[in-house]
Amino acid sequence: MSITAETAKQHANDPAVLCCRAEAGTELAPANFEDPAIFPDLVDSGLLNLEGALLLGQVLNGTKLTKTVDSLTPITADIVDKFDEIGGEEAAEEAAEEAAAPVAAAPVAGGVINLHIGEGKNIDIQIPTGVGAGAAVAGAPVAAEAAAVATVGEEKVVRELTRKHFKIEEVKRGPETKFEGTTLYIREGIEAEAVASEDLVLDLKIEVITPDKYHTYSETVMDVQPIACKSTEDDLGYGVTKVLDGVVTVVTGTTEEGVQIGEFGSSEGYLDENMMWGRPGAVDKGETMIKYQVTIKNGKNMERPGPMAAHRCVDFVTAEIRKAMKKQLDDEKADDTEVLKQVRRPGKKKIVIVKEIMGQGAMHDNYLFPMEPVGTLGARPNVDLGNVPVAASPLEVLDGCIHALTCIGPASKEMSRHYWREPLVYAALHDEEVDLCGVIFVGSPQANTEKFYVSRRVGQMVEMLDVDGAFVTTEGFGNNHVDFVTHIENIGKRGIPVVGFSFCAVQGALVVGNKYCDAMIDMNKSMSGIENEVLECNCLCPEDAIRGLAMLKAKMAGESVKAAERKYNVNVKNNNLELIEKATGVAVERVGNEQDLPMSEKRKAKYD
Amino acid sequence: MENIQMLLKQGAVGRPCAPIVKVGDKVERGQLIATPTGLGAPVHSSVSGVVEYITEDRIVIKPDENQSKDYVKVEGADNLELITNAGIVGQGGAGFPTAIKIKANLDHGYILVNASECEPGLAHNIQQIDEDPETLIRGIKYVAEIAGADKGIIAIKKKHKAVIEKLDALLANEPMIERHLLPDIYPMGEERAVVRECLGIELEPTQLPSAANAVVINSETVYSCAKAIEDKKPLIDKNITVRGKIVGGSDAHVFMDVPVGTSVATLIEMAGGIDGDFGEIIMGGAFTGSATTMSAPITKATGAILVTAPFQNLEAKKLGILVCACGGNLNRMMDLAAKYNGEVTHICYCKQAQLQKNGSRKCERPGNCPGQVKNNLDFKKAGCEYIIIGNCSDCSNTVMASAPQMGLQVLHQTDHAMEAVGHDKYRQLTVSKSVDQDLNVVDNVEVE
Repeated sequence: MSITAETAKQHANDPAVLCCRAEAGTELAPANFEDPAIFPDLVDSGLLNLEGALLLGQVLNGTKLTKTVDSLTPITADIVDKFDEIGGEEAAEEAAEEAAAPVAAAPVAGGVINLHIGEGKNIDIQIPTGVGAGAAVAGAPVAAEAAAVATVGEEKVVRELTRKHFKIEEVKRGPETKFEGTTLYIREGIEAEAVASEDLVLDLKIEVITPDKYHTYSETVMDVQPIACKSTEDDLGYGVTKVLDGVVTVVTGTTEEGVQIGEFGSSEGYLDENMMWGRPGAVDKGETMIKYQVTIKNGKNMERPGPMAAHRCVDFVTAEIRKAMKKQLDDEKADDTEVLKQVRRPGKKKIVIVKEIMGQGAMHDNYLFPMEPVGTLGARPNVDLGNVPVAASPLEVLDGCIHALTCIGPASKEMSRHYWREPLVYAALHDEEVDLCGVIFVGSPQANTEKFYVSRRVGQMVEMLDVDGAFVTTEGFGNNHVDFVTHIENIGKRGIPVVGFSFCAVQGALVVGNKYCDAMIDMNKSMSGIENEVLECNCLCPEDAIRGLAMLKAKMAGESVKAAERKYNVNVKNNNLELIEKATGVAVERVGNEQDLPMSEKRKAKYD
Repeated sequence: MENIQMLLKQGAVGRPCAPIVKVGDKVERGQLIATPTGLGAPVHSSVSGVVEYITEDRIVIKPDENQSKDYVKVEGADNLELITNAGIVGQGGAGFPTAIKIKANLDHGYILVNASECEPGLAHNIQQIDEDPETLIRGIKYVAEIAGADKGIIAIKKKHKAVIEKLDALLANEPMIERHLLPDIYPMGEERAVVRECLGIELEPTQLPSAANAVVINSETVYSCAKAIEDKKPLIDKNITVRGKIVGGSDAHVFMDVPVGTSVATLIEMAGGIDGDFGEIIMGGAFTGSATTMSAPITKATGAILVTAPFQNLEAKKLGILVCACGGNLNRMMDLAAKYNGEVTHICYCKQAQLQKNGSRKCERPGNCPGQVKNNLDFKKAGCEYIIIGNCSDCSNTVMASAPQMGLQVLHQTDHAMEAVGHDKYRQLTVSKSVDQDLNVVDNVEVE
């Protein structure tokens, strides 16, 4: 389709191809040209050969055709009277740099955007950005406005949350649930009571997995949870929280006939082969797992009551551990004290994080705002709340306000522990250039009409927050991408820059999109770009948060965004990270993927 | 002689008129029988006879055995009133009341006479000019005076060399009127295309020619205006081209002064009758007309009756429809898809087919393609084997630049009509979209 002058300018460095027949003598104008966005499809289908084609930026300065040529003809030197040399424009940009304020340079071909940040240091940054096929990508930033708005208000601490850490070195069974030094005892026989508390649960097995036993077979891991309790009468997100170090809860389960409680993949197998250790939502190497294997009634694995019962059954035991923690663990004797501060930075770019969580019903739900960290008591399922957006403070998120019931693909599900250590919330809270005002959770309903309903509410809520920018994150892929992109649209159409986070890559490529989806962080880590059923492999990691923040800052500074490559290319991400490191001088730690794990039979057979 | 059916709505626009005669009334040829109830023009009987019956949409008159060419003369205090009372509407297709159109209060403006006879295969406009160029010139002067124009431009396709030479001879003595030569491509007769070609002004789809200080008027309508003024003749007769699968060949049969309300069947019979198998009968041109029946009457706005070749049977293969503003609307394209026996799997709209408030579509840049390959990719994705398009010459050319390579078989909305009238099908464009205004310069730019 013919393009506008604006589009032609954006694509100044893309090949010039006629959209329609044009006659000799025609002075070339934007309307003569085909939209470069569809060239890859045309090249793929053999309709277009771009060899020798001049660029749009070279032929829109009075160039005339010397020959009558047909639709889809690339403009080459032999059919025009004259054309501009490449680089003419760049010279102009160079001159602009003389200005005191930082100035962004024009996008350059090759998947990156050049930019210069002045501020006396003259750092050259190139930040491209990656995305799954179909989505677009983000470009880079300039801190021009941010610097100008340097009415740097005082950093304001809204509130603090204190975590008291207690080191546990051993977990044993015993006559009562209690702590003795660094040993946690879990009452023998508690399984039967836990099972009796839930109609749908038929059996519960508790197994203590110490690091030497990581090569143990496990049913699919439904959740990984910190073991924590409120130290005081405070609500989640306030006051003091006690947490056990060195030990975590791992919920696993099947139905009576052995069907894994999971949808679109499950992570059953040897734990050491199916867990991306150290991910925010996973177990860290060296930790002891209290692994619960729940058996629920046949046929109940695919509807909410089944997985919910499994989670509550496990929480029956955890609740007893919490009780002992409250009674026995003295905050004064904590091994470590960590103070999490919710800070506001008036005058800095105000941002909000919208986290889409699964709420399709069936097995997909989340308990919101339990009384205890990642507990169940007092919580409301987001499906029952109608999946409407709900506001949370960053400290509530980090204090375990989400008990993740979701049973989507293991590689992209955000486990309960993920929220406890949510990297984007951490990064945004610590970034001195932005003012994080809070986190919005929104459920992903099953029906499209409901998806649009909740998306509109998200848009309105974000509008009222008067933010300068927003993140939208999601877990899983496919169905939830419909509302994911609609959230982005509803925020973006209000003139608010948005950056999206999702696993896309190869298998999860966005099936829908809109013009506001031009800045995306692909969270894929897997080698093949797939849901590889390795727990937490493709979830949001600190390196993703760093990329996202750089991208959102760029967008908020008015930078245009370089379009995504058509196919997933991990180099886009790698280049971005390198550029960020170059610009900031701080090394970004790269996380590994399933290739670092011992090869499992399943992976060998199905994926690699 | 068959009954004459005078439709109460004689064109595509406006409201139906209200009958002022009763069943059993004796009417004279030229007698006023229905008056406007809103936007519209009065309707006069095209024959003398007796009102046989009146339905919601028409007055049916049984003609007298002997018909005269005479008629009841219209009255009017001035030229504009004569045109109003004569019930003249635009004869290019839409049937907009001419008196309203030409009361334009232009400021030293232009009368652009559309003599492009843009629909392929039609011949009655050019034949009329060939037979009587003098009346056209007088008519332009009348219209110009009413509209506030001091210049007239006759837009005519360069291919009609002999007629243009006749016109040129007369125009040598007419300083206020000139002619503009058009290339032989579709759609040169689109109102805004005429403005662009003659005046170099590109109007938005929502703009009227008055925005370019001009009135665009079909040549046949200019004759009707002259006749209303000079002969006090109401618009009761119409020139018609009948063509296609007609016994005796595919040449055009031009009938001058056919009484409005005559049936399609009568016209086809006058031409010689249908020759063998046929696809459908189109009332109007191949691009903008639609399927009709043998019993349907012609109106003041009807220009042609085309009998088409039979439809190819696509045997329910997947068919995509590309709707543009220059050809049939979605209804017409769906009608054709059904007649081709294709399974409509995907519908695309030309990027320039801008939706108007009234639900119709107008092309943003008539005759200048915006590119079509994106639509073709979509058709391909939808699994289409065939596509049917209604595009202009330039857009059809663009479609052809990628569709066959993608394995899409292209049908054009006009194919079955073009086959029947012996005209090339609309596919690749091999002539230039512009012509030299010197009649003696031969221009023909072949694409290599």
